[in-house]
Amino acid sequence: MDFLQQIEQTAFATWVRESPNILAFPSILLVHTIGMGLIVGISAGIDLRILGLAPAVRLAPLEKYLPVLWLGFWANAITGTMLLTADASMKLTNPDFYVKMAFVALSLINLRMIKTQVFRDPLINTGKFSSKARFLAWTSLVLWLGVITTGRLLAYVGSSGSYK
Amino acid sequence: MNLAHIHLLLNHFPTIGFGIGFGLFLVGLVAKSEDLKRASLVILFLIALVALPTYFSGPAALDKICSRLNGAIQCPPGVSLTLIQEHEDWALLAFAVMEVTGFFAFLGLWQFRRNPKLGGWNMTAVLVLAIVTFGLMSVAANKGGGIRHPEIVSASDAAADQAEERSPVARAIGSFVISKTWVWPACETLHFVGLCLLFVTVLLVNLRLLGFAKALPFSALYQLLPVGILGFAINLATGMMFFLAAPQQYINNIEFQRKVVFIVLAGINVLYFMLFDKAWKVEAGGDAPMSSKIAAAISLYLWIGVLYYGNMLPFLGNSF
Repeated sequence: MDFLQQIEQTAFATWVRESPNILAFPSILLVHTIGMGLIVGISAGIDLRILGLAPAVRLAPLEKYLPVLWLGFWANAITGTMLLTADASMKLTNPDFYVKMAFVALSLINLRMIKTQVFRDPLINTGKFSSKARFLAWTSLVLWLGVITTGRLLAYVGSSGSYK
Repeated sequence: MNLAHIHLLLNHFPTIGFGIGFGLFLVGLVAKSEDLKRASLVILFLIALVALPTYFSGPAALDKICSRLNGAIQCPPGVSLTLIQEHEDWALLAFAVMEVTGFFAFLGLWQFRRNPKLGGWNMTAVLVLAIVTFGLMSVAANKGGGIRHPEIVSASDAAADQAEERSPVARAIGSFVISKTWVWPACETLHFVGLCLLFVTVLLVNLRLLGFAKALPFSALYQLLPVGILGFAINLATGMMFFLAAPQQYINNIEFQRKVVFIVLAGINVLYFMLFDKAWKVEAGGDAPMSSKIAAAISLYLWIGVLYYGNMLPFLGNSF
């Protein structure tokens, strides 16, 4: 039995996968979805503001939402790992999974750049954003869309497809 | 009381209720009364909300009258399946345009917060859409009424029943979603995109009222509402794809029924913010009054409930 199958056979992974308890797979997935709402939602809100939507909303106070976003991120890192153990041999041999992880990494780097270059811009409260800021906002939207799409496809591409 | 009862009870709202809202809107336009126009927009928005459970309970009413045998629907003598399917199709069209009318009515109420004089392209859009909805709804209601009242069915409609079964719009969309393997995952992906857009709007508006990121005045956050509306529209459209593809999975799924109820309640909650002034007076750094905080907490509860029931559809219910 190889390593990935050993992970799948652990008591925990079996519980996540097979327990009829609502706290197992369904609730882990629920937290993963709420986490997505926090991460992508807040990130997209900041991006759309940079791109000119809702001009009366000053960008600076939205920085308070970044810790909320990170709360969502850690929730999803944990629940994502839990979901991964339940289907390790399928997911970890699925190229789509690695594409998703690449999108996540790029999205986080992009978010970091928005934090250091847009939120730290002394001109942030003038409401005018540089073309670089707008570029980062667009790439952020596209990259998060990539995360959502490849994440959803994990239930369809190259796996048993038993989890949707 | 079953879902068929609910359909029979609710179907009077999109028909008669919409007529009342539309009539009031016309009077408001002619009399140039902002109050009447605003009141009619509230009615049109509410009717668009009630149209959701009305439409969704339709297939349940069909199942109460007719039975399914090996995929074929068999209706008792005196009940025309063709008429039911025509009713379903006209109702779907009426429902679709009614929802768009509801969105524009909502947009009108939203604009009213900036400019207390309602007018311009938005009112024109509501007028045109309401006329179309009214026409479609009349046909749908007429066909629907004929299902259990054969005495009002015209000779040409009765003759149509003898003809071959038509391919109703609803079934055509449904089989498109099922037969093309990419449609379902694409709709799910878009459903998540819409979720994120709606979620962030709900979060920013309600957390502000509850005291988070107080530097933002409430009146600035109202500009985010189109993002929330866009998210909701995406999710309504993609959600309809799932429903049309496999209505049987949803109508008898208690989680789906709860989800629809929560959406209607959340819509009423949004209307509260549109109509009452208290929250709008919350300036930068200011504290929201208790009534606004309670409404904000209810809003968060309802939308997270919508998400919860959606997530649980395949686990507690029988959907996939």
